[in-house]
Amino acid sequence: MSKDPAALGLAPGECTGVIAAYGFVPNVFLAQKDVPRVISAEDQLVDAILARDSVLTREQKLMLLRGVSHVLASEYCLALHAQSPRACTEQDAVLLRFALKLAGHAPWISAKDVEGLRQAGFDDAAILEAVVTTALGQLLCTLAKALVPPLDAELTSTVPDDFSEIREGFNYAETSGPYLWPQNQLANDFPPFTFFREQYGFVPNLYRGQALRPDLIEAEVRALEGILIPEDLLSRIQKEQVVLAISAANLNTYYVAMRRQILSALGVSLEECDQIVEDHQQSSLSPADKSLLDGTRNLARSSGYRSEAFDSERLRSQGFTHAQIVEGVAMVALTNFLNTLQSGLGTVPDFPPHRVFTPKDLYPELNQARPTTDASRAEDDPDSVLVARVQSGDAEAFEDLVRRHSRRVFGVLSGVVGNIDDARDATQDVFLKAFEHIGTFQGRSKFSTWLTSIAINTGTELLRRRRPTEILDESDVDEGFRPRQIQSWTDNPEQVLAASQLRDLVREGVLRLPQRYRTALILRDLNQLSTEEAAAALGLSIPAMKARILRGRLMLRESLAPHFIREKGSSGA
Amino acid sequence: MLSCADFLAEFGEYLENTANPGLRARLEEHLRQCKVCQVIVDSTKKTIKIVTDSDSFTLPADEVEPIVQSVMARIRDKKV
Repeated sequence: MSKDPAALGLAPGECTGVIAAYGFVPNVFLAQKDVPRVISAEDQLVDAILARDSVLTREQKLMLLRGVSHVLASEYCLALHAQSPRACTEQDAVLLRFALKLAGHAPWISAKDVEGLRQAGFDDAAILEAVVTTALGQLLCTLAKALVPPLDAELTSTVPDDFSEIREGFNYAETSGPYLWPQNQLANDFPPFTFFREQYGFVPNLYRGQALRPDLIEAEVRALEGILIPEDLLSRIQKEQVVLAISAANLNTYYVAMRRQILSALGVSLEECDQIVEDHQQSSLSPADKSLLDGTRNLARSSGYRSEAFDSERLRSQGFTHAQIVEGVAMVALTNFLNTLQSGLGTVPDFPPHRVFTPKDLYPELNQARPTTDASRAEDDPDSVLVARVQSGDAEAFEDLVRRHSRRVFGVLSGVVGNIDDARDATQDVFLKAFEHIGTFQGRSKFSTWLTSIAINTGTELLRRRRPTEILDESDVDEGFRPRQIQSWTDNPEQVLAASQLRDLVREGVLRLPQRYRTALILRDLNQLSTEEAAAALGLSIPAMKARILRGRLMLRESLAPHFIREKGSSGA
Repeated sequence: MLSCADFLAEFGEYLENTANPGLRARLEEHLRQCKVCQVIVDSTKKTIKIVTDSDSFTLPADEVEPIVQSVMARIRDKKV
């Protein structure tokens, strides 16, 4: 196979980024020689991310790429980055740890992870580079998985690293972004922004969030121009559908919301988009397009967890040409790059997401340890010893768990069902269910969070039986609620009423709240769960949970206000 | 400067102390100049404190033990 860029059909001077980064054109790029514009697009990314001088050293970036290759189990990419140094300083170890988590568990990257980088001395520019380098690693590993390039003569096979020490103790919290706050703003006529306005009709937050590195945004736009936009092989709609399906497979709420909007603008119905997100086999796509989504989705999810080979033969049997398959693979690689970039930056959606991915969307058949939504690990759980005893057959140990948690369970239930007597009876049912299913509790969240989830489900079931017509799972649509009571409150409202009156007033006010806000407020303010724990118990995203808590608090404030408004001329209580 | 609608959109982050420093500074700048939002912030904080301290949905202490014993009796019955 020729290594001469000219033989690839590239103009002189192209592929310079790849050559600058690696010293030659690796086979993973040559394997796409039937679609030179795709190689050129990838070269732009390699040039901007790996070849240019930046805040992170080239050695640090190669170290990250090696780590990503390990997480994604790509032997080819491990060999490609074999010469990179191992993490040698504590600071490097923090950086590598971040990349390993982003590559393996992107949806669970949180503000805490980014804060960890800041505490280790990395500024926003360095953090952006770490994110984008990890994303590049995703792109390269995806290409290598699908194209299976022969090992280059310049490379030697290498043994996988042992990252177990660095990966130990991953903290799986879920918090909303954005994580970086560029101080500079790019001008409205910045050419990439013009590109987005012309192609998408808007400038996505993902790109505004990279204002620290305009050259990166330019490279990403060139990659889109080289892979997504042309229509000579796959159609634009076919590729947009690939992006949508893969983003759904990657549980990327941001990209699903964005591509749904773009596909809609291209004439695809929202119903069809939603069907692709949930199960493209049930959509009205042609058998060929369904095969394309089958193949590309499997490839996108192919990682250390899944190693299914990319089935190019099936695509050929559906009439796709080799060049179309190469372009499809490049589209998957670019989507994985962009999804990883968004997860690392925590970019907030440009549109209200129709589909918010939560931990419930994880594939249950994954048998490797997977992230949980509760920041606390099992060993931090004060109930873990008692739970282990019950699980090993000591039923009497359950008595202390009931004693410890009955008040919380009752509190959750009374808030959900809105009736104290029903809550008292249902409290017992919750513990009996918990006992029955304790064998399935694997300690991925705190026992108390798990118990709270059972209480919410039990209460919701009860409510549904009692009021079958009430819709319990309304989406968080903005109902135009605005605070109306804007008079000052007395300084010590607790002293205005007797304790029992205050208790009744709060109870009545809380019970009048719509159920979704009532439950949110009960979990956060009465049961003192963290926002993350409450979101985990309800199976909601953190932003949705935050919105419900705030709405509940503001609505309750409205109903309490008439009792605590400061009288005119009074200085307080 | 932020509008009141902007402030309310970020109010949750302000209350939970999760706003980043830049946003927090903008929110506080708005608050210094907006009496209405000052009232909303003050009364919402008081609402949270009242709710947190109210014991409105707390099981009375003397009702805990009967529940514990009833649950354990039902578990023992099932095991036999």
